[in-house]
Amino acid sequence: MAKTKTNTEDYLQMYRQMVRIRTFEDNANKLYLDAKMPGLTHMYSGEEAVAVGICEALKVTDKITSTHRGHGHCVAKGAAFKEMFCELLGKEEGYCRGKGGSMHIADQSNGNLGANAIVGGSMGIATGSAFTAKMLGTDDVTVCFFGDGATAQGLLYEVMNMAALWKLPVIYACENNGYSEYTRTEEIAAGSITARAEAFGIEAHQVDGQDVLAVNTLTQKLVARARKGEGPFFLELMTYRYHGHHVGDINREYYRTKDEEKDWKENRDPIIRFRGWLVSEGIASEDEIEAMNAEVRQDAEQAVDYALNAKYPDVSEVDMHVYSDIKHALA
Amino acid sequence: MPHDVTMPQLGMAQDAGKIVSWLKAPGDPVAEGDALFEVETDKATMEVEAQAAGFLSGVTAAAGEDVPVGQVIARITEEAEDDSAPPEPSAPSAPSAPQSSGGDDLPEGIEVTMPQLGMAQDSGLLVAWHKSPGDAVQADDVLFEVETDKSTMEVPAGADGYLAATLAEAGEDVPVGNAVAVISAEAPSNPVTRSAAAAKAPAPKAEPEQAEKPTERETRQKPASKPAPKTAPANSANGRILASPKARKMALDQGLDLNRLVEAGHPQPYHVADLEVLKSLPTKSAQTNAVQTRHLTAEIPADGFADFARWAADTAGLSDQNALLAGLAAACLPTGTGTVRVEALGQSHSYAVMPGPLSTIQPAEPDRPADLILRDLRFSRITSVHLGAEPAPVLTLARNGDALAITLECAGDHLTASDALTLLSEFAGRMEQPLRHLL
Amino acid sequence: MREITLSQAVNEALAEEMRRDERVFIIGEDVAEAGTPFKVLAGLVEEFGTGRVVDTPIAEPGFMGIAVGAAMTGTRPVVDLMFGDFIYLIMDQLCNQAAKTHYMSGGKLNVPLVLRTNLGATRRSAAQHSQSLQALVAHIPGLKVAMPSSAYEAKGLMKTAIRDDNPVVIFEDKLMYQDKAPVPEEEYLIPFGEANIKREGTDITLIGTSSMVQVAEKAAEILAREGIEAEVIDPRTIVPLDEATLLKSVRKTSRAIVIDEGHQSYGVTAEIASRINEKAFYHLDAPVLRMGAMDVPVPFSPALEDVTVPTPEGVAENARRLMSGEMIHAA
Repeated sequence: MAKTKTNTEDYLQMYRQMVRIRTFEDNANKLYLDAKMPGLTHMYSGEEAVAVGICEALKVTDKITSTHRGHGHCVAKGAAFKEMFCELLGKEEGYCRGKGGSMHIADQSNGNLGANAIVGGSMGIATGSAFTAKMLGTDDVTVCFFGDGATAQGLLYEVMNMAALWKLPVIYACENNGYSEYTRTEEIAAGSITARAEAFGIEAHQVDGQDVLAVNTLTQKLVARARKGEGPFFLELMTYRYHGHHVGDINREYYRTKDEEKDWKENRDPIIRFRGWLVSEGIASEDEIEAMNAEVRQDAEQAVDYALNAKYPDVSEVDMHVYSDIKHALA
Repeated sequence: MPHDVTMPQLGMAQDAGKIVSWLKAPGDPVAEGDALFEVETDKATMEVEAQAAGFLSGVTAAAGEDVPVGQVIARITEEAEDDSAPPEPSAPSAPSAPQSSGGDDLPEGIEVTMPQLGMAQDSGLLVAWHKSPGDAVQADDVLFEVETDKSTMEVPAGADGYLAATLAEAGEDVPVGNAVAVISAEAPSNPVTRSAAAAKAPAPKAEPEQAEKPTERETRQKPASKPAPKTAPANSANGRILASPKARKMALDQGLDLNRLVEAGHPQPYHVADLEVLKSLPTKSAQTNAVQTRHLTAEIPADGFADFARWAADTAGLSDQNALLAGLAAACLPTGTGTVRVEALGQSHSYAVMPGPLSTIQPAEPDRPADLILRDLRFSRITSVHLGAEPAPVLTLARNGDALAITLECAGDHLTASDALTLLSEFAGRMEQPLRHLL
Repeated sequence: MREITLSQAVNEALAEEMRRDERVFIIGEDVAEAGTPFKVLAGLVEEFGTGRVVDTPIAEPGFMGIAVGAAMTGTRPVVDLMFGDFIYLIMDQLCNQAAKTHYMSGGKLNVPLVLRTNLGATRRSAAQHSQSLQALVAHIPGLKVAMPSSAYEAKGLMKTAIRDDNPVVIFEDKLMYQDKAPVPEEEYLIPFGEANIKREGTDITLIGTSSMVQVAEKAAEILAREGIEAEVIDPRTIVPLDEATLLKSVRKTSRAIVIDEGHQSYGVTAEIASRINEKAFYHLDAPVLRMGAMDVPVPFSPALEDVTVPTPEGVAENARRLMSGEMIHAA
């Protein structure tokens, strides 16, 4: 890892964003455990370096598509805690006015085209977003986040084929966290995942998804090339999810051991690793980092309090937003 | 009152219990709280206590048997019973029907039904009972009083015995033919008192398809040999009138009673167009008032006229069937001659009929008043009519399966009763075998 | 007024809208030089180029997904789905993504997309190229569904669909592509949700969609010779549905037959008949009849295929039965 002075702010921003994701998820998990959150949610904890490393290489108008495990992408692309927690709790001030919830947060203002509860469901959307950029001549790049489980969906190969044919500015970012729901990735993926993209002539890279700098450095290069029409690209980011498939997946010894989880958390945690590097490189002191952590924690607590007390949408909103030009679809 | 002893629910997922042993024997006196029997479930063995005092009787489950939760296995009765006939094992979900509403628990005996008193009557209002359940009755004792649209009359018991059941209450309207009482030979120990409304379910013997096939039903109910006037109960199985929503709504808005179409024998289902027929029916007051209205119906097993008409056309060149009908009808008038108006297929033709061969029949002036109207409904779906008197006697032909129904309607001053009978029976004879009557 | 074919009408509508709005593009299989198997798009690629008349691989879910993403990010795709039967292939992209995006995002994201496809049997194409699947998509909140019955409707509805900010599915009857109808030279739009009374009558209302409008009109001619005056109504769009016009007519005539080429069970006819039943019950003098395609896969043999779809004679016969007051148990 190399450090230049001019990058200091960027490094601190990356650290801060990773902590924000972890803190968001810790609070979301607590809301679930306290039975204050409707439904279930999928925790991004452990994978922070992927979302942050990639999104810190994007500008606001660049687009991302996200997944059911999407809080990290959303935070990394610039979303605010308050609107996110409101959405998680189904409140009126949520990003989607409480109509989407955890798995459908969309934040168009920051280029987030939305999380998608269909595994692999957003691959077409991401490719279409890149199509728009090419057709309208913008230099926006789109990153399509998806998990190793989604590589089993046929849509991926249809759209990679077209993206390669048409040289679309899209980066397919496969977050390989080792598990496809409750099944080890080795059991669902034959051969090499990167080789599949390479078969379409798409340049593919495998990268350590726990190393935010490695992810960021590579993504910056690829984004720049995609803007010049050299896309598409494919990334396989080797990472790990600390929680189960969702917050209710608590007893998971039948598919992975506690020792394995402990090893990733203690030895390969992206935040601990980056924090150590920031201190050792003299970019930030332990005190400064603790202060940053505390500030994020406080920010999250305030957002949670706000969301818990925020109001639900009026019931009359139930048939709003079905069609853009019909205020109440059932009126 | 006997107290049922049931298999208790002891565990959450338990649906049966095994009787380990009975701690009391049939006939034993038991006090509330006495241990009655021992049950084993998947969890444990426990004693079940009596919930009432009395005598154990009717034990239906023996030690060692598995019994579903909630099932009655014994009774605690107030008196020790010598013959402790076991109660029918009954699941908790199927409690035995209360005495007053079952259909199969009527006392044995002769049924007394609501009589048919008027011509267009399909039910009678039970005004009052003259006997009480349990009373002894003689055959000619007045049993109850009935009101129809015409009058109030007393109905005799019709058999000696005891009034074992009354199946309608005073004030109820009971369909003709439905049982209203049971006369038993022996004095009933437990006479039954019931309302007609409560007995509705078992009462109508109608089947669903009758609604669509009123003719079949009439054929079954009124054999051709019985010259009873038709009441045309073309009701649906449950007594509802079949009518379109719009017809129903319009009838309601205009104060029209669809029942009158039923009484008139107009076939269901009713649509808006049928309301015109309803409006054209004589008013209720005219009906009651028209004491002298005559309504007679004859039925012949087959329409002989069709063959005759074919023969007449082929051999004599008489191709106007309406003229032939007019001739046959006029011949039955007391004078044997007159103006006959034939209404068929929505058209009306008048004929002047003089005594003599059918070939002499001539069309009459359309505005000339008719002496007899012949309404030919053989090619319609109408099977019977009750339309009331018109300015001249009306003979209506209607098909009833293979049979032909002929109805004569007239005012009392058109024809005497015996002339009316003669006219109808002669015309029926001519329609059955036209050739024989001509020869 | 000049007469043009339905095919020309669609072609004109697309060309006019593509000239009017450079964000409009066509995407699908063999849409460019081939101009589709029905030649509806012939000539468009010459004017607009392959950048806006985009040939795709045979990958319906892929190009549908790309269109959804493109629509979400600022373009207005017209997706060409070669046969209506292929809707099954794109169901996730159409129904889980396109239809729900506006709602799930609380109104933040729009999907201004047109899916052009077709319906109709009796082309001797057997069970996988002959279906009329409008009921499938009409069932999904968030989609609009247009069913042009002539060249005039095909052009006016297409132009409206392209300008609509919601996903719209247009079903053209593939047997009607060569049918001519008067179409004005000057520009016109046909608003959605406005039924067209094709023929006025007092005795019975015949509601037909797409090609079934012609069937209803022919039935009305037969009935007129017998003194029965049928009113023929073309809803033009089944979502939104011009309920008011349909109900007004049925309140006048007291009788209705609904005719649509989709399978009869759980179909468009059932929905319309049900609404009439619910909202005009006390005006009905006869049961509302449904006439749809027979509930069998479309057979190949002409001898079999021809009996599966409603015919003018069949409609007339049912109308007679209703007029006669016959007790009707089933159509």
